[in-house]
Amino acid sequence: MAHIWPIGGGKGGSGKSFLTSALGRLMAGSGKRTLLIDLDLGAANLHTLVDIPYPAKSLSDFVKKKFPLLENVVLETPVPNLFLISGANDTLDIANLPYEQKIKTLRAIAKLGYECILLDLGAGSSFNTMDFFLISQNGIFIATPEPTSIENIHRLIRSIYFRRIRQCFTVMEFKELEGEVVNVFGDGSFNKPECMMQMVKKNHPEIGLKLAGDFTGYRFKLILNQLRKQDDAALGGQICRLIEKHLGLKVEFAGNIAFDDHVHDAICQRVSFLDRYPYTRTACDVRELSNHIISSAGDQLQINYS
Amino acid sequence: MEMNFTKLNYYEMLDVKPDVAFFEIRHAYNAALQMYQADSLVSYSFFSQSERKEILTLLEKAYLTLNNEKERQDYDNDLIRLGILTEAAKKSPSKMPVSIFDINRDQCKTGGLKNTDAEFRARIAANERIEKILAKQEIRGGDLKVIRNELAVPLEKIAQKTKVRIDYLRSIEEENIEALPALVFLKGFIKSYLKCLCIEPLDEIYSRYINCLAGLGKKS
Ligand SMILES: Nc1ncnc2c1ncn2[C@@H]1O[C@H](COP(=O)(O)OP(=O)(O)OP(=O)(O)O)[C@@H](O)[C@H]1O
Ligand SMILES: [Mg+2]
Repeated sequence: MAHIWPIGGGKGGSGKSFLTSALGRLMAGSGKRTLLIDLDLGAANLHTLVDIPYPAKSLSDFVKKKFPLLENVVLETPVPNLFLISGANDTLDIANLPYEQKIKTLRAIAKLGYECILLDLGAGSSFNTMDFFLISQNGIFIATPEPTSIENIHRLIRSIYFRRIRQCFTVMEFKELEGEVVNVFGDGSFNKPECMMQMVKKNHPEIGLKLAGDFTGYRFKLILNQLRKQDDAALGGQICRLIEKHLGLKVEFAGNIAFDDHVHDAICQRVSFLDRYPYTRTACDVRELSNHIISSAGDQLQINYS
Repeated sequence: MEMNFTKLNYYEMLDVKPDVAFFEIRHAYNAALQMYQADSLVSYSFFSQSERKEILTLLEKAYLTLNNEKERQDYDNDLIRLGILTEAAKKSPSKMPVSIFDINRDQCKTGGLKNTDAEFRARIAANERIEKILAKQEIRGGDLKVIRNELAVPLEKIAQKTKVRIDYLRSIEEENIEALPALVFLKGFIKSYLKCLCIEPLDEIYSRYINCLAGLGKKS
């Protein structure tokens, strides 16, 4: 069955697309049929990173029913075993993807016959982005060691946690829960998933149990990218400990990726960074991460339709 | 799962085992400061200012207590008395890898309502004044207050049991529209109030009350 790795990060420029393409190349290189899907609609650039300057088809052709199957819009890349569904030329923005089309796309992604599927989710935390993130238990967060990026990643993790809870309730039920949370925990608490979860456990023990099970099943990971020499290598681990201690959500720190100006050079030359500069610290980090990510993937595919 | 920092014991706050050596406590405190201090990148934006302040105060308290032999002894004894810590876990360092904390333990139950629902129902059925009120088409805040007084339940107890803020409860009885929360929230609060006193049929009584409020100009 396919493993799906949604790659998200609160902030633009943290390296989601770079990492998606690098991981994709490594997975394809190890002989696995690998598909990259550019869900950063409106700001798609995955195609450029895998050397398809003029993608002939894109996801919107499927969404707009120009092609009946998601397979129909898959593009071959110059790299053996590596395929792409481009988000280029898209007139639609992921944030505005209508509900039915989102469900349709989610179902279609889950059914695709690839061994590895990587989703480049783009920045931000729109509902659709979060739903795509929650399509699998293997979601990967990526951030850089800067307050702005950390701020966004904390917010994104909270939002995704919250979104999963939200998916289990009707609008009315949820409003009632929100009211009670505010009442018990005070004004600022309505957007705190940890408070909401306590309330769910109290008022809807069955759903609480199911959610708790889901949350233990998730194997979310955090990657810190663009670490410079002066940055603290322990930061990622500490962030994960904080999240576990205060949100009760397990996010595993998967590793750091060193900053290297050659990434920029490789992108400008439109060549694979890993092939062009294989012996850099950064390339080693990415390879190590890729091995870790593949070996620790859950064996069960999980999809949550909201 | 999700934990409330203020409910952790000092060892849990500092992420150390109860048999931890003294020198490690300082180390743990420093590590915690690295995570929680205002300029820490780790928790940047994760807490509000007041949350952070509370955590730092608690951490300092935890550190000062555990780092003092006498105070730590007293604190340990308290934990043992509360059944949170076992004598064995404290004395035989790291013999067994079992968790000694029951993280999911309930908070101490501070005496809720003693009256049972059945008792309330019986008393309501036997009380003429309440019967009369429940038969009315219009149910006002004052009516609810009368029922509550007939049942001799102080507002504080309802607040305690329903966890609805007492000023909201009071505003419900006083029909103090300005002070009431938005309708989506209010709905749950009123129902909790009614449920707590076993006033039935719940939905029916709720509608009669809320209709009166609407008449007074409460908008969603
Ligand atoms: N490890 C790294 N070292 C140096 N530069 C890097 C590294 N990773 C990414 N970059 C640089 O960061 C830039 C942004 O990367 P990328 O486009 O992958 O980010 P993104 O998260 O996909 O952004 P967006 O949200 O805008 O799509 C790249 O142009 C690249 O030059
Ligand atoms: Mg991108």
